[in-house]
Amino acid sequence: MTLPSATLLAQSALSGLFVGALYGLIGLGLGLSWGLLRTINLAHFAFTFAAAYLCYQLVSSTGIDPLLTLVVIAPLFFALGCALHWLVQRFEVTPLNSLLVTFGVTAIIEAGIQAIWSADFRRLESHYAQAKFKLGALFVPVPELITLGVALALSFAIWALLKHTDLGKALRAAALDAPIAAAFGVNQRVLALLLAGTCAALAAVAGVCLSLSFTLAPSQIYAWVGVVFAAVMMGGLGSALGPLVAGIVIGVSEALTMAVTAPSWAPIVSFTLLIALLLVRPEKA
Amino acid sequence: MTCCFGWRRRMALAALSLLAATFVHAQTTPVRIGSTLALTGPLSATAQIHKLVGEIYVEQLNKRGGLLGRPVEWIVKDDQSKPDVARTLYEQLITADKVDLLMGPYATGAILSAMGVAQRYDKLLIHHTFGIPNLAKYDKQFPAWSLGSDPGNTVPNTVLDALASVGKTPKTVAVVTSKFPSLHFLSLGAREVFKKRGVQEVLFLEWEFGNRDFGPIAARIKDAKPDFVWVGAIGLDGNLLIDAMKKIDYSPPLHFYVYPAPGPMVKSPDAEGALSVSIFEDHPPLNASPIAAEFTRTFRERATKANLPETNVEVQAAASFTAWQMLEAAVNGTKSLDDKALAAWLKTHKVDTIQGKLRFDGPYNYGDDLMHVKQVQNGRWLIVYPADVAAPGAKLIVK
Amino acid sequence: MNRRVVIALLAGGALLALVPWLHLPAFYESILYLVLHWVLLATSWNILSGYSGYFSFGHGAFFGAGVYTTAVLAGKFDWPFLATLPAAAAVATGLGVALGAVVFRVRAVRGELFALLTLAVTFVLATIVLNTPIDGGPGIYLSAVPVPALAPTQPGTFYLLALAGAVGSLLIAYTVQRSRLGVGLFAIHDDEDAAEVMGVPTYRYKLAALAISCALAGVAGGVHALFISYVTTGEVFSITVPLTVILMSVLGGTRHWAGPAVGATLITALLYAFTKGDLALAGKATTGAVLIAAILFMPQGIVPRLLKRRAAAPAAAKPPPVAIAPMSAPALALKGDTLLRATALTKSFFGVQALAGVDIEVRRGEILGLIGPNGSGKSTFINVVSGHYPATSGGIAFEGREIARLAAHRIAHAGIARTYQVPRPFAHLSVRDNVAAAAMFGGASLSASRARAEADHWLAFTGLADKADVLPDALNLHQRKFLELARALASRPRLVLLDEVLCGLNPAEIDDAVALIRRIRDAGTTVVFVEHVMRAVTALSDRLVVLNHGQLLAEGAAADVMQRRDVVAAYLGTAHAAEGH
Repeated sequence: MTLPSATLLAQSALSGLFVGALYGLIGLGLGLSWGLLRTINLAHFAFTFAAAYLCYQLVSSTGIDPLLTLVVIAPLFFALGCALHWLVQRFEVTPLNSLLVTFGVTAIIEAGIQAIWSADFRRLESHYAQAKFKLGALFVPVPELITLGVALALSFAIWALLKHTDLGKALRAAALDAPIAAAFGVNQRVLALLLAGTCAALAAVAGVCLSLSFTLAPSQIYAWVGVVFAAVMMGGLGSALGPLVAGIVIGVSEALTMAVTAPSWAPIVSFTLLIALLLVRPEKA
Repeated sequence: MTCCFGWRRRMALAALSLLAATFVHAQTTPVRIGSTLALTGPLSATAQIHKLVGEIYVEQLNKRGGLLGRPVEWIVKDDQSKPDVARTLYEQLITADKVDLLMGPYATGAILSAMGVAQRYDKLLIHHTFGIPNLAKYDKQFPAWSLGSDPGNTVPNTVLDALASVGKTPKTVAVVTSKFPSLHFLSLGAREVFKKRGVQEVLFLEWEFGNRDFGPIAARIKDAKPDFVWVGAIGLDGNLLIDAMKKIDYSPPLHFYVYPAPGPMVKSPDAEGALSVSIFEDHPPLNASPIAAEFTRTFRERATKANLPETNVEVQAAASFTAWQMLEAAVNGTKSLDDKALAAWLKTHKVDTIQGKLRFDGPYNYGDDLMHVKQVQNGRWLIVYPADVAAPGAKLIVK
Repeated sequence: MNRRVVIALLAGGALLALVPWLHLPAFYESILYLVLHWVLLATSWNILSGYSGYFSFGHGAFFGAGVYTTAVLAGKFDWPFLATLPAAAAVATGLGVALGAVVFRVRAVRGELFALLTLAVTFVLATIVLNTPIDGGPGIYLSAVPVPALAPTQPGTFYLLALAGAVGSLLIAYTVQRSRLGVGLFAIHDDEDAAEVMGVPTYRYKLAALAISCALAGVAGGVHALFISYVTTGEVFSITVPLTVILMSVLGGTRHWAGPAVGATLITALLYAFTKGDLALAGKATTGAVLIAAILFMPQGIVPRLLKRRAAAPAAAKPPPVAIAPMSAPALALKGDTLLRATALTKSFFGVQALAGVDIEVRRGEILGLIGPNGSGKSTFINVVSGHYPATSGGIAFEGREIARLAAHRIAHAGIARTYQVPRPFAHLSVRDNVAAAAMFGGASLSASRARAEADHWLAFTGLADKADVLPDALNLHQRKFLELARALASRPRLVLLDEVLCGLNPAEIDDAVALIRRIRDAGTTVVFVEHVMRAVTALSDRLVVLNHGQLLAEGAAADVMQRRDVVAAYLGTAHAAEGH
């Protein structure tokens, strides 16, 4: 077996970087929800795909730029996220039970998507799909670059918000100890609704980015659950940058494995790495 | 005595009318055909085509008078893309719903489950989408998909023959495949065939089904510079690979995909020239027969109405239609609903279908290998080899 | 253990075993097989994850190990099917125990990290199976494997196998729940560190629960392999199995042995209710809606909700008078000799030296006061002696035995107990069960029934008898502190370490507590107590030890120590020391 060329390795790593960025972007809202709202929101994936389908529909019907659809889609999902969290708050749903509730929501959304758009594959046609440019010997496709850019921007923005603004501090305080935070004037209920809405809006953004690069089918919702959960848990719950970093680590390690040996071995590298990391330095994970 | 005579006559009349009533009743009790399909779950994208074809066929069949003069009722259940559910539902169809006849489900896994059940109850099972002939060990199962009994050998040979017919036998080949059971063995068989026919393998890659990132794989193919790429792809894999190759500005001179999801591939602008195999496409000569013409027209109408992205009849729909044709032919040929008789008839008779005349007397009840080579040309699938079924004037185009 | 439940389960199982001879259409046997199959899987998951709170996302790995063991042995090596089932259980158990042996040693891997680890194991196992000759890609075809004729029909055989598995798993789950293992697991669920310090051998128990869970999952897998008769990695290792067992258990109730079974039956029934072709999508949406409604209105799960309804009126009756078990009188003749000696004891946390080489001696039968300003290392001393933290260096001899780096539960068995400054009761156990757990797992190591009687004694001793059946969050701070005391005493320790037990109490409560502590010492237990309330310190202590910045500052009789200038300076600052007293 010939050694792979540097270009091959670099191109593969780049490919892994892009798919990892998408894992991180999808995982961003999921991790925030789990860490700060104590809700394991399986419906996050359903929101992502519902947004992707809506983007597809809007673009197919009106021909506008896919990224512009966010003007309509993001607020819509913000509202949906608030509504779902209102339900969780109203019934004081525990984290474990939230998994069950959101699973139910996912089933309903999946059925709805299939009822409207059929089970068949849908591919968004846009001018982004063909766009790419060259960076030295490497090819950089534009839709993936947009996804990476969005993922980086949003992750850093949320990180900055949580760390440096009063709002962020209030959110973190409320997550750590809600009654005490309330004693300090933090309106935990309103903040939680805002955060839940934001997480759903983040899911919508991830969905639009997903639609730029991937073909959609209702059953695909579950195809992402395993790896995104892994990225979120690895990156740390409630972390803004963690899922992105973890997602990229997973994506790049799998891509490099595929470049060097039989691609079917790819999952073993990333997940063995993960297991080793967990056992040796769990606090760092 | 008048009374006794009258009594006897009345008894005779009563008996006759009872008989007539039973006869009429039998005439109007529907023939119930049961099957499952993956109406939800990962396989639902393709299964809905089979649902549509079944509905169309049963409708048209009933317009023609049904089976044996009785209306036909198709009971279809959702196996949720799970083989264990499929197994249980076929048991329900046979033992609880007591259907008269069975029709196969979608895809190899579910068909194997259904086959096991059919075998235990000695029922005929006609199926349309089974991919591994040498696992079809039940003698009363019959395939509508004319894969031939040894597709691992015949399909690659056909592909190479097609290429040779336009003088484009490749010198080097890259074999890349998913490990999905029903096509993995085809790709392994292809490696053997290529070796035997002197085509040098420059790359062999396998990926797990469900892989999302095809970037590294595309990069390795580009690096290997093959004349021909054999892609063991099913569903969206093919599209993902084409997209990934396009992203690094690579377009293989010749590429072949085993079981691509037909709609997405034909719509992708980068898939121009992609090869695959087919038993039927919606163009002459195969669609010229009246039955085929009517079917393709009806299918297009109904698919459009159902908002399906792909409205042309191709392999999946054609295999499904064939399966129903086989069932109808067997029932009409034996004038009965007895599974033993139907199976015996199918083994000894040829059935006229939209694929052509099919026989079922080969190994595993497979007959001729009718896998023709098709190519994406100008956004359409056109059969290009062999010449007798190719689209008029169409030739295998090489870049 | 309630024998009626065991008999009911066995009788029910025997009755259900007759079903194949009713000659129902085979479909019913198959669907009942599926229900029982999920009952087995969900119950097996719950034994580890529901009881102990160690949420596993990797049940699919153990199930898959069982599936592939049977598939390979029966399909490729022609083993008789029934013989493969113990092998399937063994392989799954081996995998689980190997994993647990490593993972459970790493203290920080709990909660989500454990869930992640088990999820990762599933992916790794699936990839290995797919890429090695175990499967290699084409799947394993089992239609040629003969199904043993245990019942008149083939589906009937599977039904009986799954019935045996399900009844077995329910019996095991019930037995575990009512046994020491179960109490220990529930304690681990609520507060693992407190449980370990109290005497629960947490590592061993978690491993045992994992082993049982994996063995049952392996058997379920082995049987299912032949049921589906064609095994592929994609199907077997999908996210469906781990997700579904979690949903079933949560829906039914994770704290009850029958919860997962109820959840499994309901969800499987829902899945099948909507298989008619034209109902498929509507059915999916309805299933989702039903699940949402169920969990919103029954947050503990279905079974606890049903049981709550039946336990109508709360038992307002006073507990019957308990025969007070006589306490073993201490060898008072030995009073005054060294019970515990800490030598050059050091504890560092990432460079901060909380204890910097202290030498402390505790004499039998005394009340030793441990005082010092904040941050002087008092609580750390208690944490290290009780085993909550391992000492960085130095030695601790208890009754002559070296205990410095022993596992905390062994220290508890040696006869040491402690309370926590901020009470850490087991939130889901009743007050009585909290104390009974300590009696079961601490130095006394009593059986379950005697432990409950012992608990009642100590609750009476601390004045909590009328609160025995409530949950800890219904107690106020004073009562919770006394619960800590009762729990510490229930293990009949020879040395009890009290960490600021008077903190937060009002003067009347302080007087009560002081009296109680005296009674404890008089009954034969040596007391070391950390305290800031000076009047209590001076009133109670026979001797005082003063720590400052992790080092021993002074020690001796209370009156003498309190006068020393350096002690005053440490507490109040040099100026006050200069003022004199």
